[in-house]
Amino acid sequence: MSIFHKIAKRATAVALGAGLMVGAAHAADKKDIVLGGSIPLTGVFAFAGVGIHAGIQDAVKITNDNGGIEGHKLVYVPEDTAYKVDASVAAFNKITSQHDVNLYYGDSTAFSKTIAPELDRSGKMLMAGASFASELDDPKKYPNIFIPGPSYTDMVGILLEYIAKEKPGAKVGFVHSDTEFGRDPVEGAKASAKALGLDMNLVISTAPGGVDVSTEVLKMRRARPDFVIFHGYVLAPIPEFITQARSMGLKTKFMGTFWSMDNSMVGKMGDVADGFMGVMPYNYYYTTADNAPMLDKIRSMRNTYQSNAYMQGFFSTMMMAEAARNTVKAGKELNGANLKAGLQAIKDFDTGGVIGVPVSVKGNSVPVGRVYQYDAAKKQMVAASDWINLD
Amino acid sequence: MRIGTAKENYLHDAALFDTNVQRAWMVALAAALLVLPFISGQYIGYLVCLVLINIVSTTGLNILTGFTGLVSLGQAAFMGVGAYTVAILEINAGTPFLLNLLIAGGAASLVGVVVGLPSLRVKGLYLAIATIAASVILHFVFANWTSVTGGVSGLTMPPASIFGFELVQPNQVYWIIMPITVVMLFGAANLFRTRIGRAFIAIRDRDISAEVLGIRLLRYKLLSFAISSFYAGVAGGLWAYFFRVITPESFPLMMSIFFLAAIIVGGMGSILGGILGAVFMTMVPEILKMMVGVLSPIWPDAVAVMSPVRIIVFGGLIIFFLIFEPDGLAEIWRNIRRFFHLWPFRT
Amino acid sequence: MDWLFFSEIGLAGVGSGGLYALTGLALVLIYKATRVVNMAIGEILMFGAYVFMGFSAGLALPMWAAIPLAILVTGLMGGVIERLIIRPMLGESAISIFMVTIGLGSVLVGLVEIIWGANPQRLVEFMPSDPIFIGEAYLSSKVGYAFAIAAVVLGLFLIVFRTWRGGVALRATAGDQAAAYSMGINVPGVFSSVWVITAMISAGAGILVGSIGGISPNMGVYGLSVLVVVIVGGLDSLLGALIAGVLVGIIETYAGAYLGGEYKMLATFCLLVLVLVVRPYGLFGTHEIERL
Repeated sequence: MSIFHKIAKRATAVALGAGLMVGAAHAADKKDIVLGGSIPLTGVFAFAGVGIHAGIQDAVKITNDNGGIEGHKLVYVPEDTAYKVDASVAAFNKITSQHDVNLYYGDSTAFSKTIAPELDRSGKMLMAGASFASELDDPKKYPNIFIPGPSYTDMVGILLEYIAKEKPGAKVGFVHSDTEFGRDPVEGAKASAKALGLDMNLVISTAPGGVDVSTEVLKMRRARPDFVIFHGYVLAPIPEFITQARSMGLKTKFMGTFWSMDNSMVGKMGDVADGFMGVMPYNYYYTTADNAPMLDKIRSMRNTYQSNAYMQGFFSTMMMAEAARNTVKAGKELNGANLKAGLQAIKDFDTGGVIGVPVSVKGNSVPVGRVYQYDAAKKQMVAASDWINLD
Repeated sequence: MRIGTAKENYLHDAALFDTNVQRAWMVALAAALLVLPFISGQYIGYLVCLVLINIVSTTGLNILTGFTGLVSLGQAAFMGVGAYTVAILEINAGTPFLLNLLIAGGAASLVGVVVGLPSLRVKGLYLAIATIAASVILHFVFANWTSVTGGVSGLTMPPASIFGFELVQPNQVYWIIMPITVVMLFGAANLFRTRIGRAFIAIRDRDISAEVLGIRLLRYKLLSFAISSFYAGVAGGLWAYFFRVITPESFPLMMSIFFLAAIIVGGMGSILGGILGAVFMTMVPEILKMMVGVLSPIWPDAVAVMSPVRIIVFGGLIIFFLIFEPDGLAEIWRNIRRFFHLWPFRT
Repeated sequence: MDWLFFSEIGLAGVGSGGLYALTGLALVLIYKATRVVNMAIGEILMFGAYVFMGFSAGLALPMWAAIPLAILVTGLMGGVIERLIIRPMLGESAISIFMVTIGLGSVLVGLVEIIWGANPQRLVEFMPSDPIFIGEAYLSSKVGYAFAIAAVVLGLFLIVFRTWRGGVALRATAGDQAAAYSMGINVPGVFSSVWVITAMISAGAGILVGSIGGISPNMGVYGLSVLVVVIVGGLDSLLGALIAGVLVGIIETYAGAYLGGEYKMLATFCLLVLVLVVRPYGLFGTHEIERL
């Protein structure tokens, strides 16, 4: 795990180089803008936390190299949480008592909900996080929080829209883990399937940590869905599900949502990964596109593959910086309400290729995404659809 | 025993604090507790509150496991019952927080009694496993009784308020948590100066002998379960006022193991042990975090091994204390005290 | 009622029950010989699976080498655990040792996370993946083969346990430690070997469980279901572990299939409560009489 070491080295090198070119761009008298973070660097969500951490670091670096936020330097203050709510709250308290924090990155849905009243009370911060929970997509209830992408319901919506286009009236199965994360989009999925004229004839919840999925596969064998959407997993039990379904001769297409879409995780599925599809709001590290200077920059900063969590952290930071930029430009004080207004003012924002189309904030989220499919020959997720904007 | 403190009568022997020096220390401690929120930052305030909540729950478990000899791995689930009770009352009824906490304790102790019912027929390992079953079943109820508990997404509740003043920050909620913790601790300490408390100890030492002496086993075992879960329920209620979001994942089985570890490390069958154990076990992760901060300049990967090291230290402490110091930190503390009291003589 | 579906679920239940029985056997053996309920059984099982992954994926050894090596290494670790932390606890109350094993479980989880990381992993495939059909009924190949392997190991083990000299020594120790001592049986040696053997059985079970559902550091929860198995069967009954293993497997699978995944654990633990209330010492366990 010398990854941190490498990161540190490379970051310093880039900083030096960029610093020479840009020169003393940021005025020293302008106040720093602090981005605090409860980051799950260890524990069950560490695979994502490490990526998020790197993504935020790089985005902060790039922002500062380009003169900061209207001259204000962006400072990132992370703290490890091990993906535990109480540790996360502790980190929040620690960071906010030591710094004047205006932007924050939270690590879980439960944390976002726990800290929301405190955000409202202090009225100083705008927060994003690792959670895409549909519940948070409510500007009235959560005025100081936003989702850096589509909510889980929106993700499933994008998949269903894709299915409806591919095969109208298709039979769709929905398999989710029996956790808050897994149950999140179930109701929304049923509703949008109905609206799109799809037949959602199979909804299965699996016990957390359950090993044997053969009974679930038996149900699937009877329902014979054309598509199955997995939600609430990172890896297990998706591969086993697909293996068994294939051995029964089912022609079902399998799909996942954001957190099961990391290229290296899908690669771990082995033979059955080929053809696995899913929705992802961002481009992948290796995506080559015209007019994607940000992706080139990321690749020049890090020469090995970066996870989808990296892109998530990177994009979250871009959005927060942009919100802060709009606020400063408008000459307003940096506080929760103004930052949120600044965020909502983001319209047709060019992310430099992190997302392939210009993005706009709608409500508390950025409901855009694209369907990808795994190509075993290339060992890469490749785009299977154009960018889909949900209204 | 301190030199020059002859115990002249039984009352004197059973007194909680037997010397003026001890009383002076208690006054100093009380003063410190009163001043603390004014001088501590938000982070220290947060840690202090968390420690106090854990002290209440650990003391409860100590009454059951340390003093009565009934091992329970259901403490976190009982806390959950208390937390949900408080949240439901606060959201729907808006009753005063003191009443809510009492009801939370009552609800938890009712559940505790039901779980304790098999304790007459089974004991030891079997009872411990029955309490695991209780936590699994309670977790299921929390997660699936959606109309009441909000299902997997849980409940979000308003803060406690006194005379229209809302207690939001750790340093404000402190004024609920601290006095209640102190009262609960004195209650526990005094419990073992009464017939009930001594009956518990008799059951722990040899339940059949206790029965021969005329102690009704079922009644006292259930009473112990009730008192212990009352503590858990109140601790859970305080937890709810502190975090204000309760989900089924807030009270995992791991948390019950944490409380068990706290009384093992602190010292079973000692009120002081429960306190020391709760403080120590809550602070260990923070201390490790600090060490990571110190180490990271020379060893940049330190943060990556932080979480596993924490788990290993947690398990290692349980093993270490059980093998080398079964009476826990409380015994170490007593040894240190004895050394100074008897100085210049040797023990 | 779809009877084919019903019987397929039953088959899957029996299949997963075989693995419960195998792990339950390990738990019962330790209890019989040393009167210790090993709460770390799930973690030892996980450790075995990770060691196997280390040999097969990490060092790229062939299966015929990786499996025995993983089992041996885990067995060795069992011996070390016994020597280091269980032996000093001899003579302490059962509850103390019970709690020591809880601590042990936590240490093992931490070790695995340090060595192999916290991410979920998959094991190298070593079982054929063509489905098995019994009559019309489908059985997942892995579950089927895992069941067959578990059954063979269990059978072999029972034979050895009855006939081999060491097995007799173990049974003698289980029956009466003092008497075994006076007959010249090396009781501490028996204790060590029981820990080694049970760790080896758990490692085998871990490899099978892991190859079905993948492995992760919190795979130790599997141990909780195994705990239910041995309590239901009776802590000191080998036969009880076998029958209860299959029973729990079937009940869990039916609950999962007809009620939903969230009911699996609930069903198992309700069975546990029922047994504790009706027959506290399990279906086949010995009722111990307490003497003053």
